[in-house]
Amino acid sequence: MAALGSKKQLHLGFLSAIEVKDRGYVGGLLVTNHFGRPLEFQCTAPVRPNHTQEVLFGPTLVPYLYNELIGKTLLEKAGVKPDLVLTEDERVLGLREFVNLPVGFLHEGTSACADALRLGQQKVSFHERHPTDRDVLYELGSLVAEETDLFEPFDRVKEALQEALQQNKQRAA
Amino acid sequence: MTDQPASQLNSDSPITHSGTNPVSASHLSNELKSQLQQNFSAPQIALAELEVPIEIYLSGINGALARQPRMDLITADLVTNVEVSSRWKPHLPKLPTFKLTFPEGIEFVPPKPEVESKGKLRSLKPLEVKLNSKGIKKEAVASEATLGCIVHSGPAFYLLQPPIENWLTGQELVMPFEPFDYQYEGIAWLFSRKSALLADEMGLGKTMQTITAMRLLLRSGQISKVLLICPKPLIPNWQREFATWAEELPVTTVTGDTARRRMIWEMNKPGIYLANYELLVRDFEELEQEGITPRFDLLVLDEAQRIKNRDSRTASTARSVNRKRSWALTGTPIENRAEELASLFEFMEVIPPRGTPDMRQLSRLSDEYILRRCKDLVLDMPPRLDRPAWLELEGAQAHAYKIAEKEGIIQLNDLGDSITVQHVFELVLRLKQISNYDPVTNESAKLDRLRADMEEIAASGGKAILFSQWTKTIDWIEERTQEFNPLVYHGGVPTKKREPILAQFKEDPNAHLLLMSYGTGAVGLNLQFAGYVFLYDRWWNPAIEDQAINRAHRIGQKNPVVVTKFICKDTIEEKIDRVLQEKRDLFISILGAEGNTEASMGLNASEIFGLFDLKARDGDSTREIGPDTLAA
Repeated sequence: MAALGSKKQLHLGFLSAIEVKDRGYVGGLLVTNHFGRPLEFQCTAPVRPNHTQEVLFGPTLVPYLYNELIGKTLLEKAGVKPDLVLTEDERVLGLREFVNLPVGFLHEGTSACADALRLGQQKVSFHERHPTDRDVLYELGSLVAEETDLFEPFDRVKEALQEALQQNKQRAA
Repeated sequence: MTDQPASQLNSDSPITHSGTNPVSASHLSNELKSQLQQNFSAPQIALAELEVPIEIYLSGINGALARQPRMDLITADLVTNVEVSSRWKPHLPKLPTFKLTFPEGIEFVPPKPEVESKGKLRSLKPLEVKLNSKGIKKEAVASEATLGCIVHSGPAFYLLQPPIENWLTGQELVMPFEPFDYQYEGIAWLFSRKSALLADEMGLGKTMQTITAMRLLLRSGQISKVLLICPKPLIPNWQREFATWAEELPVTTVTGDTARRRMIWEMNKPGIYLANYELLVRDFEELEQEGITPRFDLLVLDEAQRIKNRDSRTASTARSVNRKRSWALTGTPIENRAEELASLFEFMEVIPPRGTPDMRQLSRLSDEYILRRCKDLVLDMPPRLDRPAWLELEGAQAHAYKIAEKEGIIQLNDLGDSITVQHVFELVLRLKQISNYDPVTNESAKLDRLRADMEEIAASGGKAILFSQWTKTIDWIEERTQEFNPLVYHGGVPTKKREPILAQFKEDPNAHLLLMSYGTGAVGLNLQFAGYVFLYDRWWNPAIEDQAINRAHRIGQKNPVVVTKFICKDTIEEKIDRVLQEKRDLFISILGAEGNTEASMGLNASEIFGLFDLKARDGDSTREIGPDTLAA
């Protein structure tokens, strides 16, 4: 039997952040291959906005933290560059304005808008001002098996962030 | 305006009880009226119009009312700019990040661009140590540093692994090579068994069959957590084989300090866990004391003859592991005694604890739970040509041997009834060593023969592996075979350096000779590019010798393998060879006809004694001494 595997690779970046009481926001980026196997993980130090920032940024604070501060930094420093960055938070689609990588908003297939593309069990929407971002899925999206649950890696990111923060807290104590 | 004394006012005015002096406006004196008119000329209101009854209270400052106010002029700049009390500008702060690159990801990390120096030299500045006001070294965001440490060395590595059901989702079952038919059979046999002993002869691919069967069980959801135990030197071999045959399965090697190993054992994450026997015993004893029992769906023991002694700590620890399936892998299920097989069956939970099946029962259990195939039956392998090299000791070496033998036997006889196996064993070792070379003169019949053979092998571009029992002998040979660029691989070589040595032996066309010890080089290594094997001295057990030979005579070997066994005539080696040959067929009845190549025994105590004609003085006469079995 000859080797049957395809040499094509699709590297997916799962970008997520959690808010920790009294610690601020911590972001994490997990880059996997299309099988979901981890290739690289990065996280940020906790970012804690002060009261002035909370007042002045208002509702734009979280998008600012997620996109300009956490997301942009993590992607700039990533060693293994993802072909597509996925997020569970629609506000993070704005990250696309600050990075030169396709960013997709992952959502359940049932609630998908018309122009969303299927990836695994879910659908992906892209930034309206960057229609060519969809090309990455036209080219490589078939590498991801239909039964793949793409929300699952986000759980891994959050679990790793929680664990790192908890251990950090214990060591500090 | 200065105060006017109250006494200057009309002192005749009636004074009320409250201290005021009420007067009517009509009763004001003309002088006062005129004075008031002068001072308060505007507005022009006729006093008559003020004919209202008023009362003037003697407050003490009435005089001041009539005094002209003094006015001063000052100049002040007009304020044109508004002061800003505080200012805030949005800015992007530098955000520290912590990175963990997985082994699979390293190949995708682009190399760092080289910084052009432009041919200029720059001076290096000493590192600046920032001190705070108290003169204490500043900890650069200590909590962040700790966070980074956790990401790198902590559980994040394992937490980020995908769940078992995602590993194989939608993936093809890629095999790097087409398995042979007998391997397909072996995979199917393992897949369907809760208890199994795969006892294929060395070189038939037990590793590949095991990995593939595991892979199928994982894919079918029948197992999720596997513990594989092997001898420490074989850990890299298993890692390599997993990468080859099941690249999608994450393998966690249990290694590192106690805390790290503890963390791995306590993790309930599915996957393949790889550990060596020594760590298994050490860690599980500690875990047991603390009431922690890691659970596995499958426990695999590689080189399972390690648990042949059912009373050993290794065997009892292996049996104590909480598991659902038990597989054992070994090319030599019986090395010495039938009880060894019983120990393996006890591990596999097919006989009760301490059960002692007889030969008939063992044979029946073997049929059901053991799968064993021999190379000559399943493969069209190039032949293995065994070539005993009978050598005669000469000169100083022969003399040294005779002296040592004579003196040794005299000493043993003098010990009388206090003689032990250890005493005899020491003499055997000493005589074997002199058979290798005379330590005084360095004369060696074996070395002379080796050099002659190696010249021919090197001239034809061939490669040979040489096995010896002693690292000292190996080092001695290395010094005397430099023209063949010998490489040394034995227990004295650090583990990290071993793989590069094997790689050099394979790739360097000038490296013709690999010197190995039986202990380190006999198992698990693939050296099928070597066409010649020398057994410089004989091991106690032919099964170990066969394992050593099978490093070269295995799948992938394209040419016949020439095996040269050095045996010195009229020495202890000749006697050992004869005894071992007689024992090769002893346990055929257990493993069947196919098992005869490996079902061999080492020398037991009575056999060691039997190598010599030992007698003890008993008054004026002598009597034979030795273990009961020999006397019987």
